[in-house]
Amino acid sequence: MAISLSNFLIPSILFLATGLFTEAATVTYDFDVSWVHANPDGAFVRPVIGINGQWPIPTITATKGDRVIVNVKNSLGNETTSLHFHGLFQNGTTHMDGPASVTQCGIPPGSSFTYDFMVEQPGTYWYHSHTRGQYPDGLRGPLIIHDPDSPYKDQYDEEIILTFEDWYHDMMNNLLAKFISVSNPTGAEPVPQSALWNSTQNISIPVQPGKTYMFRMVNMAAFSAPYVWFEGHTMRVVEVDGIYTEPAEANMLYMTAAQRYSVLITMNNDTSSNFAFVASMDQDLFDQVPEGLNSNVTGWLVYDNTKELPTPAFVDEFDPFDDYTLVPQDGMSLLDEVDYSITFDMKMDNLGDGANYAFFNDITYVRPKVPTLYTALTTGSSATNPAVYGVNTNSFVLNKNDVVEIILNNDDPGKHPFHLHGHEFQVAFRSDEEAGAYVNNVTMPQVPMRRDTVLVRPNGNIVLRFRANNPGIWLFHCHIEWHVASGLVATMVEAPLDLQQNLKIPEDHYQACRDGNIPIEGNAAGNTVDLLDLRGANVSPDPLPAGFTTKGIVALVFSCLSAFLGVAVIAWYGAAPIGKAQKGSS
Amino acid sequence: MVNVFAVPVFFICFRECLETSIIVSVLLAFLKQTLGPERDPVIYKKLVRQVWLGVVAGLAVCIIIGAGMIGAFYGIGTDTFAKTEAIWEGVFGLVASIIISIMGAALLRISKLQDKWRVKIAQAIESKDKVEGVAGSRFSRWAKKYAMFLLPFITVLREGLEAVVFIGGVGLGLPASSFPLAVLCGLGAGALIGYLIYKGGNAASLQIFLIISTCFLYLVAAGLFSKAVWFFEANAWNKIVGGDAAEVGAGAGSYDIRQSVWHVNCCSPNLNGGGGWGVFNSLFGWQNSATLGSVLSYNLYWLVVIVAFLAMRYNEQTGHWPFVKAKNPGSETSSQQGGVSETCVEGKSHGDEVLSANVREIHK
Repeated sequence: MAISLSNFLIPSILFLATGLFTEAATVTYDFDVSWVHANPDGAFVRPVIGINGQWPIPTITATKGDRVIVNVKNSLGNETTSLHFHGLFQNGTTHMDGPASVTQCGIPPGSSFTYDFMVEQPGTYWYHSHTRGQYPDGLRGPLIIHDPDSPYKDQYDEEIILTFEDWYHDMMNNLLAKFISVSNPTGAEPVPQSALWNSTQNISIPVQPGKTYMFRMVNMAAFSAPYVWFEGHTMRVVEVDGIYTEPAEANMLYMTAAQRYSVLITMNNDTSSNFAFVASMDQDLFDQVPEGLNSNVTGWLVYDNTKELPTPAFVDEFDPFDDYTLVPQDGMSLLDEVDYSITFDMKMDNLGDGANYAFFNDITYVRPKVPTLYTALTTGSSATNPAVYGVNTNSFVLNKNDVVEIILNNDDPGKHPFHLHGHEFQVAFRSDEEAGAYVNNVTMPQVPMRRDTVLVRPNGNIVLRFRANNPGIWLFHCHIEWHVASGLVATMVEAPLDLQQNLKIPEDHYQACRDGNIPIEGNAAGNTVDLLDLRGANVSPDPLPAGFTTKGIVALVFSCLSAFLGVAVIAWYGAAPIGKAQKGSS
Repeated sequence: MVNVFAVPVFFICFRECLETSIIVSVLLAFLKQTLGPERDPVIYKKLVRQVWLGVVAGLAVCIIIGAGMIGAFYGIGTDTFAKTEAIWEGVFGLVASIIISIMGAALLRISKLQDKWRVKIAQAIESKDKVEGVAGSRFSRWAKKYAMFLLPFITVLREGLEAVVFIGGVGLGLPASSFPLAVLCGLGAGALIGYLIYKGGNAASLQIFLIISTCFLYLVAAGLFSKAVWFFEANAWNKIVGGDAAEVGAGAGSYDIRQSVWHVNCCSPNLNGGGGWGVFNSLFGWQNSATLGSVLSYNLYWLVVIVAFLAMRYNEQTGHWPFVKAKNPGSETSSQQGGVSETCVEGKSHGDEVLSANVREIHK
């Protein structure tokens, strides 16, 4: 416990101090990604994806203005991988964003790949695998960018990183195979076996009375969203998803997958007792709560380690803080002149293979043969035509500096956290539950909250706005990892001609493609001659046959025929006089 | 509709009641011919009263037994079968289908019952002349005295209990509310036809009526058979998806796409009582989601029925089964020739043969 905790209690003051006096530095990490074994919930030992033979994996820390270099070697042996630095804009370096088949090829086993980018945004982020459903196997860690100019730097004494994770005992590959399967027609997401704080359970955080701590909380879950509260203490929210906010008091937070909150908590002045803090997974997300599931994970603020660690009190109703009310500290006002509005109607449905998929506007995402970025770079003027990226990438081409609005109507009774790569967006509107589709008569806040991952409520809607000032290929997707796998993803192709002029892809990126036999030119189907010919592109399964197909009509006709024939034979038998044989025998 | 009128139950009651009323009508006709109100009105009246007493007594006993059985079944069985799992529905459907198939053919030859019973009555009277042992003589004298009571009594009892057992078998998966109307209608229709036969109504139109009834009966049985297979498959699918798939409605996920032959997201006979589609389902075995198994079994059922009827006709014509060497009449054996329905009907026709031989003897 103490050992793992020390990872997260790196005295951040040191960083703050050094940040003040040093010029922008280069921070380099060498990551050898491989399988190790771990048992974080004390219930089951399983293979997990570690880095340099360790799990939990290290925290990436840097200071605003630094250059970060991450040298990744894939030693998994059986899976490709890639790293996404969640929340970082990657301005000018869209090829360092990480999603496999989008801005790079997945790094095949044995290959190496270098991520190299500048960090200009302070705040709480995280990094994780962005290759099919992989990060819940363990490849997820916090990424903290320190800020020598933080408006709150004088208001706290120490920083503490708290990561939340949901934990599955089975491997993602197995779970995904069961999830997207004819035997799971309702699309019920696998329910985790346990919840973790800082990749373990029952953590103790030594605190000193009267001090103020900044807790950088990251939800690194695959699926779960916890309610979080600290008994006997009030939180002051000062940052969400890397955006400083006006301080807002909260007793309880609701953190969807991939969201981050920095909260200031001032410790009590006496050491007479210790206090529990709890993350309780929202059971509304689970189709069926398995018997015996402990959806809570507890930690303690330890004032005095000779005193007992109290059992948290039972909470009968969750009343979390509404993040929609947050106000960014920079006061940026609503983008009110929209140049391009995109409406996404999302739903879950079954396709012809019987499995359940997720759709934006009746399109479920299927990764293209050629990574979308490479298509944008190699299709010349056709790169502004969404068709070249393939129907199933659900691509939208954005003009540079346009104000883009995304209206998302959730036609599903579930909660979904939506994330946009490469941007923070203004949450111009968020409806209540069951509000239905967005109607254009709402009052929007003057200074809306900005973040990079936002919750849309069951059968509700959201309106997001951002300025397309960051050329690149950016995914917009639900951050429930199951729904990424079932296709709840769209692609924003932002200023592709700009990319063709300015972007230079490093050789090792192409090498990863060659190692994995992935084409790097042409449209989504890999066609370099006729860019609008997408035959051979990856597409989703056919829709479910509706009603009577030829097979059904033939079967029905045959059934009717045999019934008629049978009835005819019965009638013939019934109408026939008693047979000769019987008469003869009498 | 499905919840208030069980079609198979109607046909069972109809058939059993028809049989009973034919026998009763034969008895009454016999009395009228031999004694007649004009020849010996006192004895005639007495014997007619005996017949009706026998009918009423038989009916009373079998109602008591039947009510007891059904009461016990629903008392004990409601808990067991209330949540009729698909597997139970399948088994019940299969049992019902087999029962109907076996007794259906007999309905077409029901007119022969008149001959059969004339023989029985004649036998009962003939045996007066035979010398009996001392021990048996008192019983046989008593039996002869009350023959006009015992014959209808035993007949009604036998047919009634048969009906109870059959209804029990057919109705296992049906709601209790679907019984009364079907039973009443069946009894009424059966008694009406019996009366028409007694009155010597048009035999040809009667035969047509019987044919139509039988055809319906087999349509129902075919539907039940196919439905039984469908339920077995639904059970397997429920196991795969780990829950009651019907809970998700009639849409995607409520059925196994790999087994699907057709599927329409409406017209489900299982949701909300089924409505008209429920009637369609119980009459013809309609499914909004047809599976390979249900379609194949439906067609297979008809194939077996067609073959069985052709074989029966062949047997009536030639006196032996197809592909079986002709044997001496009367020494036919049953149970070798496959299908259940064939075996049963064979047994009946075998009996008829002997009886019709007897009829000739009497007529000499």
